[in-house]
Amino acid sequence: MNREEITAKLTEVFRDVFDDEEIVLSDATTADDIEAWDSLEHISLIAAVEKAFKMRFTMREVSGMKNVGEMIDILMQRAK
Amino acid sequence: MIFSSLIFLYLFLPICLVAYLVARPIKVKNAVLIILSLAFYAWGEPTRIIFLLLSAVVNYFVGVGIGFFKKEKYQKLCLICGLIFNIGMIGVFKYSGFIMRNINAIFSADLPVPDIVVMAGISFYTFQVISYIVDCYWGKVQPQKNFFKLLLYVCLFPQLIAGPIVRYETIAAEIDNRKTTLNDFSQGLTRFVVGLAKKVILADQLYRIVEDFLGGSVNSLTVAGSWYGVILYSLYIYFDFSGYSDIAIGLGRIFGFHFNENFDHPYLCKDITEFWQRWHISLGSFFRDYLLPVTFFGKRNKYLSLFLVWLCTGIWHGANWNYIIWGLYYGMFILLETFIGKKRMNKIPLVIRHIYSKLVIIIGFGIFYFEDIGKLGTFLKNLTPFNPNGWGGFFEQASLTSNLFLIIAAIICTFPLMKAFGKLAEKNDTARAVISVSGTLVCVCLLAFSSILLVDSTTNAFLYWRF
Repeated sequence: MNREEITAKLTEVFRDVFDDEEIVLSDATTADDIEAWDSLEHISLIAAVEKAFKMRFTMREVSGMKNVGEMIDILMQRAK
Repeated sequence: MIFSSLIFLYLFLPICLVAYLVARPIKVKNAVLIILSLAFYAWGEPTRIIFLLLSAVVNYFVGVGIGFFKKEKYQKLCLICGLIFNIGMIGVFKYSGFIMRNINAIFSADLPVPDIVVMAGISFYTFQVISYIVDCYWGKVQPQKNFFKLLLYVCLFPQLIAGPIVRYETIAAEIDNRKTTLNDFSQGLTRFVVGLAKKVILADQLYRIVEDFLGGSVNSLTVAGSWYGVILYSLYIYFDFSGYSDIAIGLGRIFGFHFNENFDHPYLCKDITEFWQRWHISLGSFFRDYLLPVTFFGKRNKYLSLFLVWLCTGIWHGANWNYIIWGLYYGMFILLETFIGKKRMNKIPLVIRHIYSKLVIIIGFGIFYFEDIGKLGTFLKNLTPFNPNGWGGFFEQASLTSNLFLIIAAIICTFPLMKAFGKLAEKNDTARAVISVSGTLVCVCLLAFSSILLVDSTTNAFLYWRF
């Protein structure tokens, strides 16, 4: 999968988890840009992304990702 | 040694400032801070310094081990050893008595209950070193090769006893290279005096009233007396703890360190989730970063994560069931707010959200106050119309009247006054000059008034020391 495909698939996951069809992701998107994205929903999001991309984030990655761009970087390396 | 004591203010602190400012270069400055920090911690109870040093030594070698080994399984082994040591330290010194008491109660056993005095600040500095070794393992920070630099991080006296829980990455660069600018010194000193005043002028005075109501026989409390006592206790605990954080952050600035904020006017919150984003921020972010992402048998479950975080928040605060109830109580309301959702929460009228959040917080601090579960039950009943002692009377009215000025001042001080004055000062040069001069005068008055109160003070130990 290339970056655009991952972003498109990730956008679907985000829209599903946060129940918001208007979400548009960019590399710079952070939790501040999505109202419902707090530390607890972050866990739901991570679980949904792991399921969609059939991969596992490490604990460090879960707590260390600063924006969507970093999440996409990890997915580009490990998504199946 | 206690910050809000005359010996600290007029002997220890001046010696610190002179020694630190005279010392050159940075290595000597660090050595001065280490020696003074160890003296600060050893004051009154020298043996506890052994465990602080042991913690620094063990965690230093854990960090070095993680850096030395290239294979992840060995790095993980180092981390696990470090975690066992650190959690074991807290377990033995803080929870062994509680655990044995409960084992005896459950199994009707008569096992000896260890009578260990909780070492001041053990929960704070242990959590700091846990964050350090985990960050080393995660590769977020480079393991410190110089033992004395790590020791400085562990024992730095401004935040040693009651936080904030400072992450190593926050001050790693400043341990190697820092400067105290005139601005740092001035802002640090102001912050220190504000924290001292919060503690001595507000918290200690509020606590006297709290003890008049909650400290006596809970069976005789009226409805008004119960609410009055617990509302003042909520104010007291905020000024006590945030005052300590202000002092720590202020002293840090004076010594060239920039710690993260620990409080952000928590009583302005509109819901419980927001309260915990504003209250004891360094503890919340610790659990968010290190505990929330755990998996349960390989699966992620936000509800189990939430339960674990709030169970640990409760346990962290003390070895008693009321703290565990208090933690889970907050977890329950955060879960409720998660179910409702932010969008729907935001549609609830602001007044109702403020009333709801303050009620939850105030009743929560009632749970926090009563370590005896029987007394807690009586107190909670006394908050309601089922209170057999009636609604209230002369005693509550007399206390409110005689302490009205203190209570109003305390409520006003929960608002972001410093920020407001700061914004005002940005308007023009005249406003800046007026606020600067009047701010200095206010600080001098606060310091003088705090000192006068300290001369005759008996209730000045910070509450969070025992955590």
